[in-house]
Amino acid sequence: MIEQGKISSLQMAIFMYPAIIATGVLLIPSITAVHAGRDMWISPIWGSFIGFATVYIAYKLHTQYPGKTVIQYSEDILGKLLGKMLGLIYLLFYLHITGIVLREYSEFILGIFFLHTPIIVILGSMILVGAFAVRGGVEVIARASQICTPIVVILLLSVFIFLSQDLEPRYILPIFEEGITPSLKGALTHQAWFSEFFLISFFLPFLADGEKSLKWSFISVVFVMLTFITANLSALFLFGDLTAKFLYPLMSAARYISIADFIEQLESLVMAIWVAGAFVKLSVFYYALSLGTAQWLNLSEYKSTVFPLGILLVVVAIWSGDNLTEVKETVGTLGPFYLTSLQTVLPLILLLFVLVKKKVQKGAKG
Amino acid sequence: MLRHIKKLRLKSRMAKNKQQHLPRLTDEESAQTPLSSSLLHNEEALRTIYANCWDVVFRSFWIAQKERALLIYIEGLSHAEEINQNVLAPLMEATDLQITTIDDLTDKTISVAGTSKVHTYTDIVEHISLGEPVLMMNGHKAGLALGLENWEKRSIEEPEAEHVVRGPRDGFVEALQVNTASLRHRLKSPRLKMEALKVGDYTKTDVVLTFIEEIADKNLLEEARNRIKRIKIDSILESGDIEELIEDHPFSPFPQVLDTERTDVATSYLLEGHVVIIVDGSPSVLIAPTTFYSMMQSAEDYYQRFLIGTAVRWLRYIFLFIALLLPSLYVAILTYHHEMVPTQLMISIAAAREPIPFPALVEAFVMEIIFEVLREAGLRLPKQIGPAVSIVGGLIIGEAAVQAGIVSAPMVIVVALTGISSFAIPRYSAGIAIRMLRFPLLILAGGLGLLGVILGIIAIIVHLCALRSFGVPYLTPIAPMEFRDIKDVLIRAPKWKLTTRPRLSGKANTYRASPHQQPGPHRGRDSS
Repeated sequence: MIEQGKISSLQMAIFMYPAIIATGVLLIPSITAVHAGRDMWISPIWGSFIGFATVYIAYKLHTQYPGKTVIQYSEDILGKLLGKMLGLIYLLFYLHITGIVLREYSEFILGIFFLHTPIIVILGSMILVGAFAVRGGVEVIARASQICTPIVVILLLSVFIFLSQDLEPRYILPIFEEGITPSLKGALTHQAWFSEFFLISFFLPFLADGEKSLKWSFISVVFVMLTFITANLSALFLFGDLTAKFLYPLMSAARYISIADFIEQLESLVMAIWVAGAFVKLSVFYYALSLGTAQWLNLSEYKSTVFPLGILLVVVAIWSGDNLTEVKETVGTLGPFYLTSLQTVLPLILLLFVLVKKKVQKGAKG
Repeated sequence: MLRHIKKLRLKSRMAKNKQQHLPRLTDEESAQTPLSSSLLHNEEALRTIYANCWDVVFRSFWIAQKERALLIYIEGLSHAEEINQNVLAPLMEATDLQITTIDDLTDKTISVAGTSKVHTYTDIVEHISLGEPVLMMNGHKAGLALGLENWEKRSIEEPEAEHVVRGPRDGFVEALQVNTASLRHRLKSPRLKMEALKVGDYTKTDVVLTFIEEIADKNLLEEARNRIKRIKIDSILESGDIEELIEDHPFSPFPQVLDTERTDVATSYLLEGHVVIIVDGSPSVLIAPTTFYSMMQSAEDYYQRFLIGTAVRWLRYIFLFIALLLPSLYVAILTYHHEMVPTQLMISIAAAREPIPFPALVEAFVMEIIFEVLREAGLRLPKQIGPAVSIVGGLIIGEAAVQAGIVSAPMVIVVALTGISSFAIPRYSAGIAIRMLRFPLLILAGGLGLLGVILGIIAIIVHLCALRSFGVPYLTPIAPMEFRDIKDVLIRAPKWKLTTRPRLSGKANTYRASPHQQPGPHRGRDSS
């Protein structure tokens, strides 16, 4: 096998958590607020259904073809030619998505902290660190995220706790003013993020305790959902209907924090969350992309694909939009359909195809 | 095509490598031959081997005025008085000796505890080099090596680099036998095993692989043994030489083998299933595998009350971060993120920095380098001059530089604090690694501000995650997580809670104490 390392289900759950929330927690609240308004905190619950479904589909496909990633078993399912084509589609898709992730990260850093730095420096420095981790293999990513994830969680919690004195819970009322529809509309964005759980199909083959993978993945989905609810609620309690006007509600919220007139201006805390989270997210995506490319090309090892793909990712990140507004527009409007159709619907079709094929074969034998 | 060319190049390189192989000592190969029964012939051969060796003594005499015998030893390496009393005197003064085999000598006449028979010239040379006089008799194809080695050793002292307030004061010394003896003295079980290996064509250094059978993992042992046996080199002068030849990641700044001069530390690691490698001639023994956290532990954590041990450990973790990050955070914040500093503080820092002509990065860099030079100079100088250097360098230059407006006072504080913090790391080798990593972080901070520092930290974390020491991930038990072992890393659990050995090194024998031993006022009565 290309990857020798083994990780545990818990480790996978730990790195999948920032892999979903890292960009989501900053960007989603304002996108959701546009559609869902006051009910934005319910949207993650609807969205998580897609998360559970995606995890289940990925797991089922994995049990049909243990030890193989989606790039490999799509060939088994659809035959050589169609399978390779599907694999290519997935690779291009993840190349694009990873590029967008990288761009979102850089735009945040540029917009808030480094107004005059060329974007290529921000992109390049991150991709370099990411490449360093990806070349280390799945074990290194898992271990690094075991250190980064608690940091992200603690910093995130501390922002929420510091904010608690400024929160106005009454902004939540009335709930379901216009029925269930607005929160469902808001959930469209969330489910796009939740569908990224399909990435576990690249990691399931490397689990040492595969039987626990479903449980831990579901736990990861639940925690992602809870984090999104908390982020949306704190944005709502702080800004009310204004949330939609902010680009990064959490960032703006962090600026409100002032404790004992000494701890002020906690943007740096948000930046630490953002960079550490984005690092885990990027390395998970980047790893899936490198591994998938190597498997698609039938290479004997994936490390040689890391740096070329890194350069490609920087280019894609620059191409993915002219500015942040455009990128955000793409993510907000196109994302829900683009991400879900490839990461949830297409795998579902694959799974149904496999199950039907197996049944037909069984029937033919019987 | 390309692959073909690569293969060809590889082949030619391999051929070259073969030629570059170390020239073996040819005169020794001829010495593999067994002894002859003629003493004259033996003496001649040995004299050619030891031609031009002033310190080798050939002492020929008659045993009981009948048999010719020859005693060879190296001046100063053997106990001359004992040779006279226990070997020469009884042999020469004896009147009726029945010698059929050379064993009769040891059985009846020679009163020396450790003797062994030698049959080849190589054996003889080996024993003589160890300081064991070799006795040969005419008409016998074997010689006797007598365990009378004796050379000047340093007495057992407290290790300079690992002081404790409470705890044993004995350390290892340069002599291998003293070191193994002090381990055996602490671990009286016969399960304590010691395997001797020889490394170095010229130095023939004894390397002893020490472990406790049933606790140490068999695969680890096999790996350690193989890594030592793989070494083909002319000399081993210090355990550091072995360390460099057996570690997993030679390019990493972090030490992947722990070294200690303390016997109690070595013993405690043996009990956790590690192997201890003792190298003759070096007072520091090697402990493998090791983790990042053992670099942050001191023996005394276990001798003080556990609450204090825990608190001290946390202090060290905090100071680890200060040592690594303080200068770069200072530079990053002053250069890019003024708004993070409370206004009052910012004003005073700005006032102090006002006359300084350099940017913060340059200032920090120069000061950090000066600090490193002072540390190095103070270390190498004779003990009487060392303090003078630190006073002149630290106090006078520091004070004058601030007054002259070349360096700002906050910078001096930052550098001094960083320096002190780096000394709070108990392992010298880990402290150096942390101090060296400060410099790339400083550059990142000057270039990219906090972002650079965060990226630098992530890169260091990724590197640490990729490291392994003899197969054990360097950051165990945090990453990968081993819940059971955190009790000895994040806290120092009390002795009655440390009931299990670390999983990755001691999985062969998990339990080390029976549970439920927590003492209390009522516990004494329980047993009755």
